[in-house]
Amino acid sequence: MSTVAIEEASVPGTRRSTIWVLPLVVLVLLGGVWAYVSSLTLDSIETRTLAPEVVLTALWQHVQLVITSTLLTIAIGVPLGVLLTRPGTRRAGAIVLAAANASQAVPSIGVLVVLAMVFGVGFWMAVVALVLYALLPVLRNTMVGIRQVDPALIDAGRGMGLSPREVLYTVELPLAVPVMLAGIRVALILNVGVATLAAFTNAGGLGSVISSGISLNRMPVLIVGSALTIALALTVDWLAGLAERVLHPRGI
Amino acid sequence: MSLVAYMADNAGRLLFLTQQHIELVLISVAISAVVGIGLALLTQSSPRLRHGLLSLTGTLLTIPSFALFALMIPLLGLGVAPTIAALAVYGVFPILRNTVTGIEGVDPAIVEAARGLGMSAGRRMRTVVLPLAWPVILNGIRTATIMLVATAAIGAVVRGPGLGELIFRGLERIGGANALEEVLSGVIGVMLVALVLDLLFIVIAKITALRGLNV
Amino acid sequence: MSERPTPSPDAMIFLDGVSKRYPGQEKAAVSELSMEIKRGEFVVLVGPSGCGKTTTLRMINRLVEPTQGRIFIDGKDVTHADVDRLRRGIGYVIQQIGLLPHLTIADNIALVPKMLGVKKSERRQRAEELLEMVGLDPATYAGRYPRQLSGGQQQRVGVARALAADPPVMLMDEPFGAVDPIARKKLQMEFLRLQGRIHKTIVMVTHDIDEALRLGDRIAIFDPGSRLAQFDTPLAILSNPADDFVRDFVGSGAPVRRLSLLKVSDVIASSASDAPGTLNAIPVDAGETVHRALELVLTARAEGIEVCVPGGGSRYLDLQALLTAAAQPTKVLS
Repeated sequence: MSTVAIEEASVPGTRRSTIWVLPLVVLVLLGGVWAYVSSLTLDSIETRTLAPEVVLTALWQHVQLVITSTLLTIAIGVPLGVLLTRPGTRRAGAIVLAAANASQAVPSIGVLVVLAMVFGVGFWMAVVALVLYALLPVLRNTMVGIRQVDPALIDAGRGMGLSPREVLYTVELPLAVPVMLAGIRVALILNVGVATLAAFTNAGGLGSVISSGISLNRMPVLIVGSALTIALALTVDWLAGLAERVLHPRGI
Repeated sequence: MSLVAYMADNAGRLLFLTQQHIELVLISVAISAVVGIGLALLTQSSPRLRHGLLSLTGTLLTIPSFALFALMIPLLGLGVAPTIAALAVYGVFPILRNTVTGIEGVDPAIVEAARGLGMSAGRRMRTVVLPLAWPVILNGIRTATIMLVATAAIGAVVRGPGLGELIFRGLERIGGANALEEVLSGVIGVMLVALVLDLLFIVIAKITALRGLNV
Repeated sequence: MSERPTPSPDAMIFLDGVSKRYPGQEKAAVSELSMEIKRGEFVVLVGPSGCGKTTTLRMINRLVEPTQGRIFIDGKDVTHADVDRLRRGIGYVIQQIGLLPHLTIADNIALVPKMLGVKKSERRQRAEELLEMVGLDPATYAGRYPRQLSGGQQQRVGVARALAADPPVMLMDEPFGAVDPIARKKLQMEFLRLQGRIHKTIVMVTHDIDEALRLGDRIAIFDPGSRLAQFDTPLAILSNPADDFVRDFVGSGAPVRRLSLLKVSDVIASSASDAPGTLNAIPVDAGETVHRALELVLTARAEGIEVCVPGGGSRYLDLQALLTAAAQPTKVLS
């Protein structure tokens, strides 16, 4: 999935008039899946793989993967992005941006599998892979957000006697917030997606429900896993859109 | 065995998968382009519908690829068809979006002038608007292509063609002989395909610009 | 070795041989500039672009660090003082205004007081006072955001913000440059009135000689070679331009422009008579400008003016004498 494309895609959903469409879609999706599953007579394999505790565990693992990796992504990406906009780091910043842009061509499954093979499998290795993959939008948007701040505002701030640190906290960061939030939202969406692949490296998540549906050739399992994944992705995107709106500084 | 030696030994298979990967992506992008540009043209007179379609295709992009590929199985079975279908779904948004941006970015004065010359709406679109919007549209196709090259690797979960097979085969044989080399050659292959296709688009942009747009 | 010059007691800003040379540029942006600006004086730096006027201004609050020379503010050498503390004591107004879009008008004004640790309630009160001072109703504007204000209103806030910490010195870089011409003139006049009350030491940069003549107590004209060509009062510059560059820069209308700078009291000394004779004169206050006096004469279709002088009695001046007197620079200034 490409950062650029997702970033452009996540804008329209935040409009006031359409804000309730997405949760409605999610509810219809979940209701439909529930009705579909209840209309079936499940065989023993399906009953076992679709037991509520199995599915809920997978969902919870998925959520944990997404939250942990997104928080880590922010914790690394934002300070690093700020650092790379300080004077004297221009070259380093350009190199990092170029590298980050080039990394778009790396398939997410590749990052995940190579890391698993070199360093081992499990939750934390999956988190490392997710963070590596989602770092780009956060890092890049932090840098872009800060760099697009009108130099006149920084000049005014410096001229009033704000120290470079005060300028960062009262001028640059608040004004970069909208762009940074957009980057964090993209990171979240990427993380939900790549976390489904974490099933292949024994880190659990909803991907494991989908993949058992495929490997056992049980369509109800596959459909439940996919539908839940889609519902989770849409919900996360919706929540991120709401957060973006709430956290958007007034006056901008 | 070193990575280079592995690649040399398996050159035939790697080249075959690379070729498959490129074909897979190009076919999918072609479908996305027809749908994306088509939708943009069909919604000329209805900005609301157009906006709705942008929202919808944009939302589809947030769906995790593994889930979308998997959902194609009950509909289309395993193999090439579900892979292409899923990829084509993802490719629509960037192309639709750029086509809309490109068309809306054409100077209204030029369109007005064409009207003044007595051109019909269809002819204006063909001879004036689309050629002027072409660089933007092409860039959308390029974004879609690069995105699909990486996404196509996941198509292997539905037995799709292409370099993803190396990654998943290697993963299944984790710890086995050359498993890592197999995965790495898959990853590197995907990146090289992305690079080559990106360059191809730069060339196409140059050629088409020389022919039509630098007048 | 000779003693280095020190500022006189009534100097607020003193530049002593200040130069700025940017790396990689052969010519200095400002070279060996010395200037003394008195307490409460309104000095305008004017000149063509690239003449070093903005660099000079920005060296005063050290947004540009001088490569050479010393800067004194209020008698203290601040060339190496703590920059942030220095700048908090100097108001700074720029053409782009630079209000922070995510803060309310009141918070924008209170920014420096906040950095200085002023209590919240006091900051609020100060912001409201200042809004009042620049002619904006606090009840209406304090809670608004900058983008909800017009350009002219924003620049009033910009001025209020610069005054927030009550600095003795204000630096203004083309402050009215981004405002439309009608609002600009109004802002200039209001600002002059404000200055009449607050008596700050102001250094302002502009490329507009009319603005300089209208506002400045003294004007520093820089030539394209970054040399300070003349530093004098508007009247003196119009009357006795130091060289051809200044004459050109001031433009062709100098004699007419002088009319709005000359006071009636300046001209009666030289050429008025004590008796009205047959003159159809109208009374004019000695403090009015010659321009205003002419306007009154022409409006009333009169032939001259009658000016009351201190110690009783009147003096009379006919139209021709008024114009002749106004056109003779040396006579006036001697």
